[in-house]
Amino acid sequence: MKLAFQIAYKNLIGSGLRTWLNVIVLSFVFVVIIFFNGLIDGWNQQSLQESIKWEYANGYLLNNDYDPNDAFTIADGHGHLPDSDTKNLTPVLIRQATIYPQGRLKSVLLKGIPAGQETIALPTASLDSSHANIPVLIGKRMAETAKLKEGDQVLMRWRDKNGTFDAADVTVHRIFDTSVASMDNGQIWMPVERLWELTGLHGQATLYIADSDFQTENFDGWNFESQDELLQDFRDLIEMKKVSGNFMYIILLFIALIAIFDTQVLSIFRRQKEIGTYVAMGMTRMQVLRLFTVEGAMYSVFGVVLGMAYGIPLFIVLSRMGITLPEFYQDMGVNLPRTIYPVFGVELIVLTVLALIISATLVSLIPARKIARMDPVMALKGKIQ
Amino acid sequence: MSTKQILKLDNVVKKFPVGDGRYFTALKGINLEIDKGEFAGLVGPSGSGKTTLLNIIGSLDSPTEGKAIVMGQNISELTHKESAKLRNIHIGFIFQVYNLLPVYTVFENVEFALILQNVSASERKKRVMEALEWVGLQDLADKKPDKISGGEGQRVAIARAIVKKPDIMLADEPTANLDAKNAHQIMRIMKKLNEELDTTFLFSTHDEKVMKYLERIITLKDGSIAEDKQVTPQKTLK
Repeated sequence: MKLAFQIAYKNLIGSGLRTWLNVIVLSFVFVVIIFFNGLIDGWNQQSLQESIKWEYANGYLLNNDYDPNDAFTIADGHGHLPDSDTKNLTPVLIRQATIYPQGRLKSVLLKGIPAGQETIALPTASLDSSHANIPVLIGKRMAETAKLKEGDQVLMRWRDKNGTFDAADVTVHRIFDTSVASMDNGQIWMPVERLWELTGLHGQATLYIADSDFQTENFDGWNFESQDELLQDFRDLIEMKKVSGNFMYIILLFIALIAIFDTQVLSIFRRQKEIGTYVAMGMTRMQVLRLFTVEGAMYSVFGVVLGMAYGIPLFIVLSRMGITLPEFYQDMGVNLPRTIYPVFGVELIVLTVLALIISATLVSLIPARKIARMDPVMALKGKIQ
Repeated sequence: MSTKQILKLDNVVKKFPVGDGRYFTALKGINLEIDKGEFAGLVGPSGSGKTTLLNIIGSLDSPTEGKAIVMGQNISELTHKESAKLRNIHIGFIFQVYNLLPVYTVFENVEFALILQNVSASERKKRVMEALEWVGLQDLADKKPDKISGGEGQRVAIARAIVKKPDIMLADEPTANLDAKNAHQIMRIMKKLNEELDTTFLFSTHDEKVMKYLERIITLKDGSIAEDKQVTPQKTLK
């Protein structure tokens, strides 16, 4: 085997441009695979953290009549817990409403939350300092779509507990910025005490957000969904992204492997006199097979080395500086941080290296078998077609 | 097979398929014995079977019928591994177009034969330099094949073949690509190696310049031996 490595190394180094073209393609594939996987891992980690920080905290206690995926359950999906049971829980009352920015109609979810809460990162504390009649918080995406800015007043219409329409101007007290789209798009946040007044649903909540000290209990009429359960959808989305990403990696890898395969198949024709000479000098079929397999595998090793040479500094810079996404990515409706900090783990790099080397070796084996079975007489004459 | 005998061909026939179930018979019952230290040549026109015979002797090919015994081993009965071992240890090849490995230096080309024999690095260095000295190319050790002349290339090929001190050297039209001056130089080197190392040389050639150096000329015609005679090389050449 040492002989095969020795000769393969010399052959590849001696082949010049032909070798380096393959190596460059392989190094590019290596870097791209690691980059995209790192990006998705980074997005995954950041988004999970952001979702916990901004939305889910330690989990939700949901009213049994409320289904987050069914808007028709909002009207009746609320209730209240005795004060003694609400320790470590932050109530959120959700109602449907309509706003009329610049005379246009826009349906929104009106959410009430205690201004003094610290369970999630929503900047509700600032609502206390507002002198407006109905101060509200909206997210940056909502502000953009409704063309609202801080201090603007907008007419809002809602139904009270009896189903009677009521309307008033609300004041945009503050516009917050979050990567968690589900806390922003089409939502208006106001102090829950004010919403209770507006709707007559005193002490009622659609859901409670549990903080980290919350102990799971059975509450009649309420269902607790843990942080893990709430994040499952997002994890599924990431998994799906990874699977679809794998298709791209397979295509990239396929292109790179085709280059190696092509080079090795061409060797049958271009290097037949050389192969004939190896055999004439006493190389066994197995030695020839090993030599050409190792040559193919060595392309991937060189590709990894070159990829690491420019990839590792690039990965270090990217993981520190992050990748800032263009504004339009924020409108995609998924939790996408404005700046993603890719995570390049050792496991990711090791697995990519192994995948590249093993696949290159397997791809080289096919032409190498043919090369090893060449008729040396025909090879020496250069007559193999 | 006597102890002096290097090879013995017994009624060797070689047929090649030419399609439609037909065969071309390249060798028609060749009987030949070559002893150690001979400096012999297979001569004859193109298509007479010289190279085919050389390939069989070199265990690159096997006879369709008959027996080819090289170094006491029947070529037809050898496995791929055994025939590779036979070539590796006992046979040196010199080709018409040199067949040097283009990415290697002169030194590395010659060294390659010893790498295949698992010779240690220090021993390899000593023997490669010795072989290059035999052919007068020690100064070109670091050159690549594309930086040397045709004559020098063939001398490298001789060094590569002789460095492992094989029992038999098979040279297929070794001077065909060389001018007269280089052809004579090559032949003189090979004759010297034959005398000093007692290595058997078997040429295939139709070059008059080569024939003048031969001590035995085996003439092939249409796949059969037409004449096998001992000759005295021209004194002036020595």
